[in-house]
This record gives sequence, structure tokens and C-alpha cells, in this order.
Amino acid sequence: MSAGRDPLAGRIPVTLVTGFLGAGKTTLIARLVRHPDMNRVAVVINEIGEIGIDHDLVAMSSENVALLANGCICCTVRTDLQETLRELFNERRAGRIGDFDRVIVETTGMADPAPVVQTLVSDTLLGAQFRLDGVVTLVDAVNGPHLLGSQPEAEKQIALADRVLVTKTDLAAPDAVRALEAAVHAINRHADIRHVVQGEIAPAELVGLGLASARAGAATLRFLGEALDAGAGEGERYLGSRAPRHDPRIGTLSLRFAQPFTWDAFSAALQLLTTLRGPDMLRVKGIVNVDGRPVVVQGVQHIFHPPVTLDRWPSDDRATRLVFITRGIPAQAIRALFEAVGAVAAPG
Amino acid sequence: MPSFAAPQQAARPDQTLARNMTLLAHHELAGFGGLGEGMSMQLTAGGRRILWLAHESAPKNFTGVDVTDPKNPRMIVQTELPHAKVRSNSLDVVGDILAVAYQTQVPGMQPAGMDLFDVSNPEAPKLISHFDCSGPWSRGVHAVWFVDGKTVHMASGAPDFQPRNPLDDQFYRIVDVSNPARPVEAGRWWYPGTREGDAAPPPQRLTAKFDTGFRAHNTNVFPERPDRAYIGYIDGGAFVLDIADRSNIKVVSRWNHSPPFNGFIHTLLPLFGRDLWVVSDECVQDNGADWPKLVWMIDARNEANPVPIGTFPAAPHDAFARRGGRFGAHNLHENLPGPASFRSETIIVGTFFNAGVRVYDTSNPYQVEEIAYFVPGAPPLSPAGAIQLNDVFVDERRIVYTVDRFAGGLYVLEMNV
Repeated sequence: MSAGRDPLAGRIPVTLVTGFLGAGKTTLIARLVRHPDMNRVAVVINEIGEIGIDHDLVAMSSENVALLANGCICCTVRTDLQETLRELFNERRAGRIGDFDRVIVETTGMADPAPVVQTLVSDTLLGAQFRLDGVVTLVDAVNGPHLLGSQPEAEKQIALADRVLVTKTDLAAPDAVRALEAAVHAINRHADIRHVVQGEIAPAELVGLGLASARAGAATLRFLGEALDAGAGEGERYLGSRAPRHDPRIGTLSLRFAQPFTWDAFSAALQLLTTLRGPDMLRVKGIVNVDGRPVVVQGVQHIFHPPVTLDRWPSDDRATRLVFITRGIPAQAIRALFEAVGAVAAPG
Repeated sequence: MPSFAAPQQAARPDQTLARNMTLLAHHELAGFGGLGEGMSMQLTAGGRRILWLAHESAPKNFTGVDVTDPKNPRMIVQTELPHAKVRSNSLDVVGDILAVAYQTQVPGMQPAGMDLFDVSNPEAPKLISHFDCSGPWSRGVHAVWFVDGKTVHMASGAPDFQPRNPLDDQFYRIVDVSNPARPVEAGRWWYPGTREGDAAPPPQRLTAKFDTGFRAHNTNVFPERPDRAYIGYIDGGAFVLDIADRSNIKVVSRWNHSPPFNGFIHTLLPLFGRDLWVVSDECVQDNGADWPKLVWMIDARNEANPVPIGTFPAAPHDAFARRGGRFGAHNLHENLPGPASFRSETIIVGTFFNAGVRVYDTSNPYQVEEIAYFVPGAPPLSPAGAIQLNDVFVDERRIVYTVDRFAGGLYVLEMNV
């Protein structure tokens, strides 16, 4: 076993909860903070008054940090998310609030989640203590279909989601719910879809979304979405015929490369792609064979998490496997770009 | 930052605090959960793992716990001391030989020395020999270091050693146990000026409140440098000795923070691959009275000129100083050379009495970072009213074993770092 430190284990995982106004975020958070399993979880919310926790309040450790009877720490955003997360960590470090093992952040209203992801990924001070676990997006079964057709941010929230919670399924026809699910999968093939009624959800359903350790295992394959992909092969997927309309150019692409990359070649190709088409590169994640070593990469538009070198390959498959969610970039163009840059780059 | 009525969550001793560490098991050791600073792991011929634990005080001598399954530790043996005025405190196991230290409450008593046991059948330890260190000025042995199967390095008194000050009774002794039936002294060194008849003048003592003695505590020798002994000499500081010629031991370097600090250097842990030393103090007074007791990072590129470059970030004083009992540094996991020991040049694990067990990443030696901790809630019936984690051992599976000084027994933990 390694005698050093795992670059991911030990960082406090942060889950972002996004969703359009009316999708049910406040209802979900208000129920969530009272759940008995929320002991040792800190929740960052926009407005403490909205969720009505007065009866569950045990103590205020400062004007914007409250402790609930179940052990949940509720914290309102003071200036920005960065400062709030730092304050939470410092309060804990000083022993003023209890220990917490994870953070759930309610993002604001319209919210393109990309800037929040950028905050978490690019702030190296925060990165020393926290890691982005993943994005959970709420879509309501009644209004979601219209939003997907008319609001690019809604599509982006779906594209960036690791898990999609379809709400208000009790108010929509089963056919409409199925069609909405098809539309979600047409944008983001790997999103795990679950139903939520009246905000009734177990905290466990909001966690364990991202890569939690550089030690390879079954969890690594789950993170890479390989279980879903078994036998799917390479290519592009388009929406089913009954799905609501959405921007038909958005879709999930899977690419495999048998030849190993040098890190220089891979990162140069990725950089070129994001320079040319950053806004249309909604998301990328995958495992890259860098001179034989497995390196996990993930990014949103032009923002990339620090690459993680795994301690070993998680399976016998040593090929580079990348999943992109793009707007109007064909798989073949991306493949050609990586191959061309690989051919030009100096050998490793 | 404006804040009002800030409750110090961590200050409540009944609360268990945890960051990146999970409790796998807790064993109260049949009600004798007060443990010293001897923890060592035996891998038996049959493939079992036995964790040997020295008790802090009488009536128990040492306890063996089968931790093959760390979630289900089983106590397999617990031995008795001959009387209430002796304690074992320290032990080490190599192969099937267990060395146990004996220290009496006052000089002149027995048994004061070291026992060697055959633990090839761990359920029934068999005494091989007793190495007697008793004498009119000796309390016997406080700590042993036994990692190569041939030599015990110890902090001990001796019948022929009359200290000028009774606090300075234990010095560094090397005992050859290559024939375990007949241990013999092979070398010794003491702080010049502490023995009656020394040419050197007596050392300048700390003020009475902090005067804990010029005597040896941990006496560590690693296979990477068989010619060096790394010694915590309590108020005398940290010493590195050249022991290539055991009949002529020489000082290579000495580093001491006291005065102005409050004495009691306990452990000098070298990180050989990085030319660094980690030096830990021991807190010996309750309620923060001897604060700060720290872990220090020393640049040892030039071993003759050790340079302190920082201290490990300590648990917050305001939350812990009054939590009950002692608060501050004590034992580190010492990168023991045996097959069952975790070894790391960057991850350092230590115990801090009421601030629990803490894990540090020293990758950047100028900015050591705390990455995990576990602070058990106060054990029932503990006279300190709070946990007092005393010692720690980490096995090569990265399982952390830590013990309470008074009542809590053994805590088995997993690190997520």
C-alpha cells in the first residue's frame, strides 16, 4: 500500500444542487436538513428563513451558522461560496462547530452551475480541503419539458448533472415523465435519473457521485460510467422520437483511443479543443492512458479538475476512454483532433 | 468576524470528534483500559496478528489482542504485575520475542529492569530472562526500543549509576540480547554532568514548575543508520549519537527548544529519505499548564546543525486546553522497521492526549497540514474526564491502533487519507 497521501481521499466532498426556479430545490432542502441521516453534513443555503428551521434549531455558532437537533449544520451564504466554505472549515478547525464529512450546496435560481464548479475546482485554497463530488439537478416533470426547449441554462444543468432528480412526478402523466427522462438521457447519457416527490429523499442519494479516491476499484468504473456503457461501443446518441424538444445539437459522445498519449500531447489537444469550442464543450470525463499510466480527467467547458493518476488500472481495459457532452461538435472531429495532435507531438 | 454565544463544540469532552478517520472497533480490555506507551505487533507463524500493549500502571502488566480482523479484536492474554509499585509502560516485539520494561515508583525497588518473553504461543507468554537494572538510585527501565532481534536500546537506570539529581536517573543503555537467555550491557551514554563524579558541571535546570529531568526517553536506532541513535532526552533536548563504537559513544548533534520552551523532548523520528527529523514533546501537566507541547519539524541536511523549520499545526487551544486532563503532543508512530508496521516519509500520526490521535501530511515540511483526527468521547470512569490518547501504532494495512492512558482501552481506526 502507498505510504503517501491520496490526492482525493480526505477532501470534504461537496455536492451542488441545481435546478430551475420552481423545480423544488427549497422543498427538497427544507426536508433534507431535518433528515436523521444529516448528522455530520453541512448544508449551504441561500436564505435560512425560507426553509423554516426555527423549531429544529439547537444553537447558532455565528450569525449565519446554525446547528440543528439532528446534527446537521446549516449555513447561509454570506458573501460568496468561497468565503462561506472557508468559514465553515475554519469554524470547525477552531472547534466552534462540530465535525462534518460532507457539504451540500444549494445553488441560486437560474444558475448556470459552471461558475460554481469553476469556483470549487480552481480555488486552490479551497481545493486543499474540499473536492467537488458532483452536481445534482432537479427537473420538474410539469415544467421541465418546456424549459428544455426554451432555456439553454436548463440544458446545461442537465449536461453537468451526475444525477437528475425528476420532481413532481405525481402531477405529470406517466408518458410525459418517460419522455422527459428520454430527453435528459439524450443530452446526458450517463446521468442517473431518480424520482422525488415532495422533496422526500435520503441524503445518501445526493452523495457518492464523483471520484473519491485515486485507488482504483469498482467505484472508479462506476464513476467512469462504464457499467452503463457495457456493449454500447463508440458513437453518438440522439433523442428518442417522443422526447420533448431540446437543442438537437447537444448530445453525449464516447471515444476510445487504443494508442497511449503523452501528457503533453493529450493536454495540448484538450487545450486546443477548449480554446476553439469551450462554450460548446459542456462536459468531458474519462480515463486516459498516459504512457501506460491511468489518469482520470474531468472538466466543464474550459475548467478542468486536477488530473488524478490512479494507483493502477481499474480493469483490464487499458484504452483511453473519454465521454464528451458537446453542442454541435461531431465525435469524428474530436477524434481527428486528438489523433492529429498526437501525431505531431514529440514522442514521450 | 462578529460572533456571539459561540459554543465550543469540541470543548465538550463527551463528544466524539472525527475527521477522515472511522472507528472500526473499541476494546476496553476487560476493564483495564489504562495503557502506557508500548504498542507492538507480532505476525505469528500461523498468520495471526497480535497487538501487544503495555499498561500505564499496576495491576496489569501487558495485554495481547488478536487484531487479525481489525473490526473484531479479541483479547487473548492479560498478565499481572508482582506488586502495585511497579509499571511496565513500554514493550516491543521482534519475531516471537517480546521485551517488556519495568519501572518502579521509587528507586531501590524490584523488579526494575527488562523481561524477555517467548510469545511463540501468544496465549501463554513464557519468561526467557530478566535483565536487572535495579539499584539504590535506579527506578529501572522506562522505555525500550527493540527492532532487530539482537539489541535492546533503552532508557534505564543502573546499579552503578548515581545521578546528581534524582530526576536524572535514566540514561541511554544498549543491551545485547543476541542470546536472549543472557542479556548483557553493550554500551551506555548519559548527559555529561548528570552523574555523580562527572567532570562536566551539572546542567542548567528548567524552573521548578517545568523541571522534568535530564534523562532519556525514546532511544531509537533504525536499520537505515545502525551507527546512529536518535534520543529524546527530556529536558536535555534531542540528541543524535554516533554509536558505531559502542564503547565510545559520541554526540553528533543536539537540539533543544528549552528554555524558553517548557522542556520534555520525547521522540526524535528521522525521515531518512528527506533529511528531516520530527521531534515530539510530551505534555505532562493537566489543563494546559505546560502548553504549548508541540511536534517540531527539523531540517537535518547538516546533522551537526539541525534547524527547526516549523511546528505541526496544533489542535485549537481554546477548544481543548480545558477539555480535561492533558492537552498536547506525546507519542508518534515511529516507522518501525518490522513487517507489520506502516512506514511513511510524509504521513505522520501522533497522539495528543485529550486532542486525540491526529494525522499530518508533511509533504511540504514548511507547511505541515493536519489531514485527519479522531477524538473519542470521554471514556466512562476516566479520572481525567476526557480522553487521554497516549500512544499509537499503525500497521502496514494503514489501520491505526491507539490507546487511552486511564480507562478507554484500545481504539481501532481506519484512515481515509
